[in-house]
Amino acid sequence: MRRLAFVLRLLRRDWRGGELTLLIVAMLTAVGTVTAISLTVDRLGRALLSESSNFLAADRLIASSREIPPDFESAATELGIRTARTLTFPSMVYAGDRNQLVSVKAVSQGYPLRGTLRVSDEPFGPDSPTDALPEPGEIWLDGRVFPALGLAPGDTLVVGEAALRVTRVLAGEPDRGGNFLDFGPRLLMRLEDVPATGMVKPGSRIYHRLLFSGDEGDLSDLAGRLEGSIKPHYRWMSIRESSPSIGDALGRAESCLMLGGLLAVLLAGAAVALGAHRYARRHYEHVAILKTLGATPANIRYGYLGLLAGLGLVAVPLGLLVGGAVHLGIVSALSTFMPVDLPMPGAKPFAVGAMTGFVCLFAFALPPVFALHSISPMRVIRRDLEHLGPSAPVTYGSAAAGSLLLLIWYTGSLVLTLWTLLGVIGVSLLFGAIALLLLHGGHRVGMQAGSRWRLALAGLRRRRNENVAQLLIFGLAIMLLLILLLLRTELIEEWRSQLPEDAPNHFVMNVVPEELDDVRQMLTENTTYGGVLFPMIRGRIIAVNGTEASQWRRERGGGDDGPGISSERNLSFSETLPPNNRIVAGQWWATSGAYVSLEEEFARETGLAVGDSLRFDVAGATFDAEVTSVREVEWDSMAPNFFLLFSPGVLEQYAATWMTSFHLTADKKRFLNTLLSRFPTITVIEVDEIIAQVQRIIGRVTQAIELVLALVMGAGCLVLVASIQASRDQRLAEHALLRALGGSRRLIQGALAAEFAVLGAFAGVVAAVGAELTTWILTTQVFALPGSVHPWVWMVGPVVGLVVVAVCGVLSTRSLVHSPPILVLRELA
Amino acid sequence: MSTVILRARGVTKILPTAEGELSILSGLDLEINAGESVAVIGPSGSGKTTLLGILAGLDLPTSGEVMLDGAVITSLDEEARARLRGERVGFVFQSFQLLGSLTALENVMLPGELKGDPDPRRDALDLLDRVGLRERTTHYPRQLSGGEQQRVAVARAFASRPRILFADEPTGNLDTATGEHIIELIFELNREFATTLVLVTHDVRLAGRCDRIIELDGGRIVGARAAVGA
Repeated sequence: MRRLAFVLRLLRRDWRGGELTLLIVAMLTAVGTVTAISLTVDRLGRALLSESSNFLAADRLIASSREIPPDFESAATELGIRTARTLTFPSMVYAGDRNQLVSVKAVSQGYPLRGTLRVSDEPFGPDSPTDALPEPGEIWLDGRVFPALGLAPGDTLVVGEAALRVTRVLAGEPDRGGNFLDFGPRLLMRLEDVPATGMVKPGSRIYHRLLFSGDEGDLSDLAGRLEGSIKPHYRWMSIRESSPSIGDALGRAESCLMLGGLLAVLLAGAAVALGAHRYARRHYEHVAILKTLGATPANIRYGYLGLLAGLGLVAVPLGLLVGGAVHLGIVSALSTFMPVDLPMPGAKPFAVGAMTGFVCLFAFALPPVFALHSISPMRVIRRDLEHLGPSAPVTYGSAAAGSLLLLIWYTGSLVLTLWTLLGVIGVSLLFGAIALLLLHGGHRVGMQAGSRWRLALAGLRRRRNENVAQLLIFGLAIMLLLILLLLRTELIEEWRSQLPEDAPNHFVMNVVPEELDDVRQMLTENTTYGGVLFPMIRGRIIAVNGTEASQWRRERGGGDDGPGISSERNLSFSETLPPNNRIVAGQWWATSGAYVSLEEEFARETGLAVGDSLRFDVAGATFDAEVTSVREVEWDSMAPNFFLLFSPGVLEQYAATWMTSFHLTADKKRFLNTLLSRFPTITVIEVDEIIAQVQRIIGRVTQAIELVLALVMGAGCLVLVASIQASRDQRLAEHALLRALGGSRRLIQGALAAEFAVLGAFAGVVAAVGAELTTWILTTQVFALPGSVHPWVWMVGPVVGLVVVAVCGVLSTRSLVHSPPILVLRELA
Repeated sequence: MSTVILRARGVTKILPTAEGELSILSGLDLEINAGESVAVIGPSGSGKTTLLGILAGLDLPTSGEVMLDGAVITSLDEEARARLRGERVGFVFQSFQLLGSLTALENVMLPGELKGDPDPRRDALDLLDRVGLRERTTHYPRQLSGGEQQRVAVARAFASRPRILFADEPTGNLDTATGEHIIELIFELNREFATTLVLVTHDVRLAGRCDRIIELDGGRIVGARAAVGA
């Protein structure tokens, strides 16, 4: 009871005296920033995932070429998960004497579970979203089928044995594209109408999907329940498996956001540690006096432990509120730029915030405050008596342990945590060495400089140890910001280079040789296109090195399922290596001969390699070709690419159709009508919607990363201010003394500015080294991207350091430079 | 018969320095009786302050024994010494040593609070009244003059009703008139509370007001005499 009263009195009096302000502000910022970032990352991450789920038209799905058993669906329904079914299959449809191959998608009520369908009243006309589906007996049809079949909305189309009425033009579906059966214009119909068409028979090539949408928890429950019965005939898919490029983007974005939060945690910890060290230093005399008056070491220990606990109990809930408020501010500020419906926040961001607060208190603030109990009461009569404070292993050990605990818990990733922490520790050691060198050099220069500089540099040298520590802290804060900036740039550039603005967004296929010149001319006049049409000849491999292909496959342990080595494929030829292709084995042909180049993945799956001799069958005729190279292909580039590419002179004699891809802006979509009316037999595949969706997601991810960057910068500035505050007393005592001795205000202010500027510039140099190093490790090891050097960082680091530290330093010491020296001396006495 | 309240036997203090060991006090013996007032004088560096710290239990000697009010403080741990200080020892320092974040009243209440006294506030108010600062109870040290701060410190020293009061150059930071006033106050309260007084000072006039003077030089007692000036 007495102890509690003692603690409460300490807390009340320290609070009143403003002693706790810096510590409380540091705690509020630590908890607030981490909570705000966690909330933002959590909600934004889930919103991005859920928006990306539109690509599946569901959160999860089960896909198969077999019919999906009804008990999968009932298991989901039991868990309260919404479901819908789709069937996709290719079919020839007829209107009068014209026909067209389409990709039929039959859907049940409820489809799509995620995203929306878009429809229009005339082909390629303005479209709008709809919640409706075609009524039974009706169909919606892709715009490009209308000119091809001479149809108008309201006409009847024969699908198998059924005649169905075309009621609307289907302009977009969330889960368009994605699998190889899905080429051809879309026909959307109701699942109930499928039996009447008589199209689904045993052996038909049908793709079944069972879509799910619900809570993440329920979905993982369902995945657990079905795990045993899914494989090998069914596939459980989320957006990550179904669309690897989006999955990659999301994964990296998550890591980057996480890293941002993680850096905020570290910065917050540093701010709290600085606040606590300053608090402890200001309490040496305080504790010595209490001890002379009879306070025992145990009193002091429990007193300050209680004080920290009390501080936590006050600052953590307040920090959570601050974090929540900051987060709401961010959301409302961004709502115009990011029209995303954010899901309700979970408990985790708040738990992360609270945990950060207490770990910061006990791992970063406790060691110096707890060590107060060992202050000698003799200090009251001998102020020069040194207090050693907590030992270095205790201080750094507990800070490192606290950081590790927080980071692992926060990221759930040991790899990311360890790399970041290793980077920070390694860089700290390196920094220490560089900082010592720089300060030593600074002294030499300083001897020849004017008085303001001499004063500043003398100050820097006199407090060398403190300055090295402060340089480290400034350096680390700037470094963390640079790292995040670099990573953001690196990730965004990577995404942009994968999908440039003018990436092809349409494919045109089945162009016959007689149409070639006209099509080429139309494309050149109306679209952005690479200028090349590729020939396409259907053919297959029948033998490898003299062994029959399927036999050769079996000898190599390959199964018979799936598209195998001898499946029919599109063959093409080219004299030059197409752009977006890179040779990874062998050589591109320089001499004439019968050569073939394989795509890397295809070569790996089939087991073929450079030097193998392949026999091909094209329309009943056979010929041999030797594998001379293996290519890595950028499939994301949206340019036409082929698994098997031949040297010129091999395929020219066979009947070919031609294909290419081109970029068409949305306002020129009507060109497709003209093209298809003039050449009704060619096929156009539109991927513009898919690309637009990918680009939208990447845009959102970029915004999210920028947002977190801004928050982390805020935390970084706080650390700078905390660090300046922590060293304020000592600097001011000296400068007040100088003023008392006749130094002008200008001299002092100039010397302070110069001192902070030098510290900041040095810290910037140190930060640039560290940022380059850590970013290189992170990009190559964690994000698996190629590493690169960034010369601008070497400019920006020191300049940013100089400006930010000088401005923060001068601003936060300004009030005291302006108060009479006697007051400063008295306050610090 | 007067009882010995403070006894030092063979007190030696040696500090390690960069140039080797530095002997501050060498084999010092002394006895002080209850109710007595004793001045310790000597030039700077003679070991006065170190001796005061050891006698008051703020510091430990390298060797030797100190007995304070029946307790051998040199064999107590810091925990027990702190309790003993809280209950039986009062201090007045040259640089006042008030807690800047506490008001005058709170500074005076502190010893009572640490001891767990039932009503430290009333005692503190009485004492502040006694030193003439009844009107300044809510002032913070930085709002008080040097003399006023030292009066608060004197009030605080007597707040725990100490058996023995240690004063380290109590007038060192004050002008002569204010210093006189503080000395009057200390001696007055000392008589009133029947406290033993150990006073470290440069000021021979001030030392002359004590019952006895112990003169220190080079860490040894070089003279001890009854004061005559008082």
